[in-house]
Amino acid sequence: MMRSSALSLALGYVALGITALVLFAAPLWYAWQVTIQDGRSEILQADAMRLTDVYRRDGGDGLRSFIDARVHMQIAGDRILLLTDSSRRPLAGNLAVWPANLPTSAGNYRLKIDTGERGIQDTLAHVAHLGDYYLLVGRDNKLFAPLERRFWYGLTAAIAVLSIAGLLVGLITRRALMSRVHSIRQTVSAIIHGDLKHRLPTNLSDDELNTLARTINGMLEQIEQLVHGVRNVSHSIAHDLRTPLAELRSRLEELALMRPSPEMTFAEIDAAVADVDRVIRIFDALLRLAQIDAGLRRSGFVPLDLVDLVSTAVEFYAPAAELKNIRLNFKAGASAKAMGDPILLAQALGNLIDNALKFAPENGTVEVRVRRRDDGCAEIAVCDDGPGIRDSEKVKVLERFYRGDSSRGTPGVGLGLSLVQAVAKLHGACLELADRNPGLAVVLSIPCSESAADSLSVAPAPEASTRVAAGAPS
Amino acid sequence: MKILLVEDNERVSQFVIKGLQEAGHTVDHAAKGRDGMFLAASEPYDVIIMDRMLPGDIDGLAIIEVLRRAGSRTPILILSALAEVDDRIRGLRSGGDDYLTKPFAFGELLARVDALHRRAQGVNRELPLTVGDLHMDPMTRKVTRGDRPITLQPREFKLLEYLMRHAGQVVTRTMLLENVWEYHFDPQTNVVDVHISKLRQKIDAEFERPLLRTVRNAGYMVSAGD
Repeated sequence: MMRSSALSLALGYVALGITALVLFAAPLWYAWQVTIQDGRSEILQADAMRLTDVYRRDGGDGLRSFIDARVHMQIAGDRILLLTDSSRRPLAGNLAVWPANLPTSAGNYRLKIDTGERGIQDTLAHVAHLGDYYLLVGRDNKLFAPLERRFWYGLTAAIAVLSIAGLLVGLITRRALMSRVHSIRQTVSAIIHGDLKHRLPTNLSDDELNTLARTINGMLEQIEQLVHGVRNVSHSIAHDLRTPLAELRSRLEELALMRPSPEMTFAEIDAAVADVDRVIRIFDALLRLAQIDAGLRRSGFVPLDLVDLVSTAVEFYAPAAELKNIRLNFKAGASAKAMGDPILLAQALGNLIDNALKFAPENGTVEVRVRRRDDGCAEIAVCDDGPGIRDSEKVKVLERFYRGDSSRGTPGVGLGLSLVQAVAKLHGACLELADRNPGLAVVLSIPCSESAADSLSVAPAPEASTRVAAGAPS
Repeated sequence: MKILLVEDNERVSQFVIKGLQEAGHTVDHAAKGRDGMFLAASEPYDVIIMDRMLPGDIDGLAIIEVLRRAGSRTPILILSALAEVDDRIRGLRSGGDDYLTKPFAFGELLARVDALHRRAQGVNRELPLTVGDLHMDPMTRKVTRGDRPITLQPREFKLLEYLMRHAGQVVTRTMLLENVWEYHFDPQTNVVDVHISKLRQKIDAEFERPLLRTVRNAGYMVSAGD
């Protein structure tokens, strides 16, 4: 219980409160004491003054009888009065002897005096010299005790209330905190046991625990998505590798069973090697994707001109377009400098052009544009006039291993666009799939050099956005 | 030529040794880095094929660094299961001359070994190239076959130049991608083949004797024939 942070915090506050209270009371106490002391001395001095007046008026004997009368008439009350001669022999008053511990020089003293019938009392005494007489006037200090007591009672009560209230608040807070921590712990242990769907309880308030819980929920969301993605990908890998491996296996088994002519055998072996190459290609693509995802490739960033990069890629694919009777148009503005990984960008661009050529119809047109937009981004657009992608499929085509209906019967493993997306993400670029009716426009917006350098140095992991525009004219 | 193979995997070694011997080369083999380093330092080789990951003892890249520091200029081909571009850059920076990732086709290995050997013999980049009746002058960028001038696009020129510099040798698609387009990835299509057939249209179509041949399962070769 003492280890509860809420409780120790409350106790700490209580201690702080008490210290503050004491620090506040101490000077007050001191000032009060001084004031009272001064007041008492004044009262005593006033008493002594009155007796002095009597002495001046009536002489020593007059004073004696005055004192005697007062003592006798009980007017003195709890006052101490004593008149002695120069050798301190009592002449009048309610004290039998001059107290032994009281000096004879004039002034104020505080001391204990044995008053005889009233016992020893804490006395404030005033000593005055009147001619050859010594006068002692005293008052019981206890008169002021109730006031002092009330001060101490007040202080103690304040401290007690503070302590109890602090302890109570601490305990209540601890209880509330413990119940919330408990529910968090339950959720987390459910997550530890593999059920990633759980989320920490939150409410509308903006307190620390809620903020923390919301942040953790955000993290859990990301983790769930990643795990889900990994699961999906491993399923897809298993599935996609099965196909070429199954073909390979049946090819080899048939070869072993049929034992065909050497020529046929060699042809089959070549086909088997091609099957294996397909498997290797899938692995290579996945490895590369994994590396891009991990963000390891940003070390390969160099300043480059996107116009050069795009024109090389267009030139590379031009003969392939020619072969399919597709017009491959290239439109470029002035240079568009950016920071990037030339190999990855070339590959992403290659994938886009390759896709466009794959889906553009015979005698169709593929257009590749690169220009620098006013907003400081370089825009690379690859447009075809093929069947396009339905809105419902636009998000899916970016998933790993997804192959749309229209891509059935075309070569490829369904990693092309996911690689483009991963490369875009790595470069802090925006990938947009827009309809052209007919056809598809894939637009890649890459931050240009000045802004690219900034965004890369400020944000180590630029968030890529993927916009899926429906029906937007390109 | 005399080739040293430093490779710990027995199967890969046998496959490579057999292939290289069939291609007419002499092969020394070391399964351990230490033996490999000893052989490389004591015998004159034309090409060294070095596996990057050697178990236990010395790392392949470390051996290459030692050899280079000792002044050896023998061309070295690095074999590695690490396929990423960064690994490749690290390999080449340590002093290797070319980098081939496992698994590889033997044709690719042989072509690269030949290219390395050719490069090491020293070529004057400015001398005119001749294969049969095909001439190329890298300085004036003029190409002629027989008496007929041939007009080439800049990239076609680069492609033909690379093929002619390796005349008589097989040049793989990957080598062309890397050296002509500087593409270090697999475009997954037959675009290189299309480029080659376009080039073939220009240099071979109207002539009796084709110079640019396709080598099955390996790549292409420019040669005067026979």
